[in-house]
Amino acid sequence: MNKKTKSVLWLAGALLVIVYPQMFGIYYANIVVTFAVYALYASSLNLLLGYTGLLSFGHAMYFGTGAYGTALALTHIPGLPLIPAVLVGFLASVVLALCIAPLVVRVGGNAFAMMHMAFGQLMFVLALKLRHITGGEDGIGGFDIPPFSIPGLFSLDMTDPILFYYFAMAVIVGSLWLLWFFTKTPFGQIMVAVRDNTKRVEYLGFRVPHTKAVVYVIAGGFAGVAGAIYALFQNLVAAYDAYGILTSFVPVMMTMVGGVGQFFGPIFGAAIFGLIDEFTTRFTDRVELVLGLVLVLVIMYAPYGFAGFITRMRMRWAARKAA
Amino acid sequence: MDASVAMYVAQGIHGLAYGMILFLVASGLTLIFGMMGVLNLAHAAFFMLSAYFGYQMLAWTGSFWLALLVAPILTAGFGILMERFLLKKVHAFGHMGELILTVGVSLIVLDGVKAVWGTESLPLKMPPILEGLVQLGSLQYPIYRLFIIAMALVLLAILSLVLYKTRLGMVVRAAVADAEMVNALGINVPLVFMCVFGVGTWMAGVAGVAIAPILTVFPGLADQMGMDAFIVVVVGGFGSLGGAFLVSIIGGLISSYGVQFLSQYAAVLMFVFMAVALAIKPMGLFGERE
Repeated sequence: MNKKTKSVLWLAGALLVIVYPQMFGIYYANIVVTFAVYALYASSLNLLLGYTGLLSFGHAMYFGTGAYGTALALTHIPGLPLIPAVLVGFLASVVLALCIAPLVVRVGGNAFAMMHMAFGQLMFVLALKLRHITGGEDGIGGFDIPPFSIPGLFSLDMTDPILFYYFAMAVIVGSLWLLWFFTKTPFGQIMVAVRDNTKRVEYLGFRVPHTKAVVYVIAGGFAGVAGAIYALFQNLVAAYDAYGILTSFVPVMMTMVGGVGQFFGPIFGAAIFGLIDEFTTRFTDRVELVLGLVLVLVIMYAPYGFAGFITRMRMRWAARKAA
Repeated sequence: MDASVAMYVAQGIHGLAYGMILFLVASGLTLIFGMMGVLNLAHAAFFMLSAYFGYQMLAWTGSFWLALLVAPILTAGFGILMERFLLKKVHAFGHMGELILTVGVSLIVLDGVKAVWGTESLPLKMPPILEGLVQLGSLQYPIYRLFIIAMALVLLAILSLVLYKTRLGMVVRAAVADAEMVNALGINVPLVFMCVFGVGTWMAGVAGVAIAPILTVFPGLADQMGMDAFIVVVVGGFGSLGGAFLVSIIGGLISSYGVQFLSQYAAVLMFVFMAVALAIKPMGLFGERE
């Protein structure tokens, strides 16, 4: 693809995002917001799993902390504007990641995955037990969603689903762009090198634990942003949805199904999961069963996921054209 | 014995019983990990599946002993099928694929039992001979929990005899240490792996049926046990059977005394224990460096 068609495609994509809620209405706009939240959440995990080769079974810690951070800030600080509320969620996750990073950056593989599972469960249990802060199983809900405003210029009511759609999409697409930009920086290259050959990176004079720590904090922070948007969108944060073990597994599954290590992989994955969820809930309650089956089939027959499948098709097409 | 001492002793035996169940689950997990380098996240799901099989057997035949015998074997069959037809196929794509495959299987099992047996908790009646209390000094203690301890100890004895005193056990231990080398010596390592996988799930299955009369059978059964078993494996050191045994007992005692004295924070205690243990020994108490 040359540069011109690429920019035309991007423009068309942006136009579609803008006119979409006008064409399809609130219900489908909300589905897209959910998809976008998970796309950002899974992309932040992909930074760890796909780019740095660190599998985490506790990424929900950061998603949940972002969600609780924003919800608690809006509940307890009267008159907090919208953007600072999202920033509180982001910063809460960053702080948590900074606390946990020193413990986990020196391990990899199974130990990394399991330590995260344990820390994630610890957060889950704490959210359940510290009832006076988190509301336990019932969670925190019904906090006021502040309008998005620049004083003296304009003020947009965020309880209007269509306006909220635009706000959420702007934040999420912006975050995704930042993540994408990050993978293209020289530091992003070191990150991939850590995955492919840790020893070599060390010999080249880069500090592996530090690299991992930076990636880890960034991944945590963006998961926090996804959580914050989720909290605003649902106007409710409860322990199971925020910190539950399934919330940790979902982005891993999305990334695997979409294509691990490719930037658009988790985004495809989130879309596929959104579609599965939307269609299976119409026929059956057994969503987890269907997800499990999809996961097993993908691992068995398409280990590089949807994005890998597309790449292979494109290479085959290019080869045929060349022949 | 005065009342408070009796209480300490009772909680201690409670903890031992839970620790033994924990060990039955964790030993299979740690053996499988030692061999394949993969933590089987579906292990706790098999533990729960076996409890459901046990419930069904009891409902059909009316015999607890038959349930205790057959349900774990059925569960082991499922475990072997998973190893043969799923795990082995994805082995080429590395550990991450295997790990995530076990997540998929566990989701299928967890949701599958809800589809078949529903979500309410089902009672599994213990046999009359194990009902009631036994007199220990001035303390009255339920026979059933003592039975669990005894059964687990017998299984532990058999397991360690086979592992450390027979040729088969030697092959298994060698395969755990260096599968490639053992394979090169002309031993059918994939078959050994399959057998160990089967035995591991079988033990989780025995634990599932054994604990069902106390906790009843419900879909959440896997959550608590799964988490505790993972903690045991992590703290004991991946692949270390002795570590798993010691930590299982400690974990059982922590949870039973924790419920007694710090009931508010009992659920967090295991994680605190793990955090402290890992801070001191990052590879687990008996683990070697990866």
